[in-house]
Amino acid sequence: MLSRRQFLATSAAAATLVSTRVSAADIKTLQVYIDGDTNISDWWNNILKPAFEAAHPGHTFNVTITRGVADGNRTIAERALAAMQAKADPQVDYFEEIEPAAVAGSVEAGLWLETSEANVPNLKMINPAALQTPIRMPYRGSQVLIAYDSAKVSNPPKTFADLVAWAKANPGRFTYGRPDKGGSGSNFVIRAIHEGNGQDPAAFTKDNFDAAKAEEMLQKGWAILKDLHPFTFGEGTYPAGNTPALQLLAQGAVDMIPAWSDQALQAIKNGVLPETVKVVQLQDLALCGGFAYSAIPTNATDLEGALALANFMLSPETQTSCVRDIGGFPGISWDNLPADLKAEYIDVIPVSIPTYPSGDWQTAKNDGWYKNVATNIVRD
Amino acid sequence: MPDVAKPSGGVAPGYTLSTGLGSQALAGLALVALPVGLLVTLTLLPTVRMVAATFLVEGHLSAERYFAFFNDAYTMANLRYTLEMGLVSAIAALSVSFGIALYLRFSAGRIATMIHGLSLFPLFVPSIIISYALVRFLGPNGLFQLLLEQVGFTQYRTPYLTPVGPFLAFLWENIPLPVLVLSAGLSQVSDHAVEAARDLGAKAPRILWEILLPQMRRSLLIAFALIFMGIIGAFTVPYMLGPPAPEMMSVFMQRTLGNLHDPASAQVQAVVLMVISSIVGGFYIATMAKSSAGAR
Repeated sequence: MLSRRQFLATSAAAATLVSTRVSAADIKTLQVYIDGDTNISDWWNNILKPAFEAAHPGHTFNVTITRGVADGNRTIAERALAAMQAKADPQVDYFEEIEPAAVAGSVEAGLWLETSEANVPNLKMINPAALQTPIRMPYRGSQVLIAYDSAKVSNPPKTFADLVAWAKANPGRFTYGRPDKGGSGSNFVIRAIHEGNGQDPAAFTKDNFDAAKAEEMLQKGWAILKDLHPFTFGEGTYPAGNTPALQLLAQGAVDMIPAWSDQALQAIKNGVLPETVKVVQLQDLALCGGFAYSAIPTNATDLEGALALANFMLSPETQTSCVRDIGGFPGISWDNLPADLKAEYIDVIPVSIPTYPSGDWQTAKNDGWYKNVATNIVRD
Repeated sequence: MPDVAKPSGGVAPGYTLSTGLGSQALAGLALVALPVGLLVTLTLLPTVRMVAATFLVEGHLSAERYFAFFNDAYTMANLRYTLEMGLVSAIAALSVSFGIALYLRFSAGRIATMIHGLSLFPLFVPSIIISYALVRFLGPNGLFQLLLEQVGFTQYRTPYLTPVGPFLAFLWENIPLPVLVLSAGLSQVSDHAVEAARDLGAKAPRILWEILLPQMRRSLLIAFALIFMGIIGAFTVPYMLGPPAPEMMSVFMQRTLGNLHDPASAQVQAVVLMVISSIVGGFYIATMAKSSAGAR
């Protein structure tokens, strides 16, 4: 136990120490909410936090992980909306990823801060393909690619037809994840549906869902996948998620899978996947992908700090880290990044990023796959 | 309820007399009031509300959703698969545990202690860990396959992502509980009965069949009910190790609710599974009641 005198002496010493630097009370802490995977929250905590503190002395942020808790960041946004109506502190300054439109009533209520080059200067570099709207900022992206073991596959597929032909010529060496359990399998199934419908992603929009029409369009995808079914790993055993699919590739049980660009690149970098694993995008029509959008609530306690963080996130340095450290695509155009980085990732830089609508189309795709493709089991 | 929850000292003596409850009994009731209250408000009421909701279709009473459930071939295949998995895994786990319990009953020494410890080990391993471990061990190019290939067997087909995968995990997971239940049951079988039978020249199978099994019937039923209910409600193991189709009901239910956003169908699935569990559960309670009545 410290005596009272010792305690006072050490406190005084500590006080003089602190006063020579930024006083503890002056450090402003932003509240950041993340519901993405561990790779994202680790990146924020271990790499971005020290970089942000160095770039903005007197500012820091605290990451709260909402992954798997209620509805993740949406729940926090609903809380912020309620706080707005009650004029209370929302306790959040920055959403790492949020879809404002998915938080009922939030857009109408003016919960989201409009950003532009005026308050976030780095927005001038934003990738035009990433569809920035005033209330959300794309800052990292990923897309599903074909990951393959180059030691076993000398001539990787360039088109969907090539891929199917390869899978049939090499029974059991290709697989994809169940579409409801992870985006890599889901976007492969979508690619097959696109293939069956004239490679036209525009044929599927949020507003054109009609049960009978959808059934007819999806059947064309099921025909392709049913045909592929007996040639997949274990004759149609489909792993239950992104990671289980990567695991099969890592164990050498298969030689080719669809995988998220960031997960595959990070796994290769960490040695989880062998060095011989390479990634390639289909050239006839790419697999789907998308961007993560950040947003700032208008009732944030520290709006100025939040805007500084947004600008920091879109700086070429942070965006380079996004590519190098988590294998993501940058939210800003590649032209603003070092030339050697672009050269290194040339194979996976998306030319186009097709999308597939959420809602009824997703549900019909996932349930339809189970009833048409997964049950198509021929096992001995 | 608030009356029951009051401390016994606060209740008028006349009241206790007229109901025939002593203050000790009231204290007992006060003790169970909290857990029973929690059970009623957090489990029973929501269950009743949910079951009622499954019969309400657009404001009308209707069993339409149940007809849909029982008429859908895909759903029925999932239900059948779940029950078969429960039955087969439970019987297999019970047989293995019965063997272990028998061995432990009639052996002593360091090896028996070790086997006892080992058989309880799975109790402390979470499903998610055993699932990953089995993927690494039994999975493609896993340790098991490598060992087999060392001795020249190259025809190995991994059980991962087939019904055999979850079966093996359930078997492994469900050894400790029946070992405990059956060991307790076997310890009640008197040595004298076994020795007497032996003296009369009975061989091991006959002792098992005529002395041990009849006395073990209740323990076996209890252990079966416990593991069967656990298996048909299990989620992690079939999710991680099982095939895409058929799905076990828990996985199917989660997908119906979380991915297809169809809470009404998920509720019907839950009610059907709950009814099946209740039947087995009722069986368990009846057996327990009988055995405690027998003990008196």
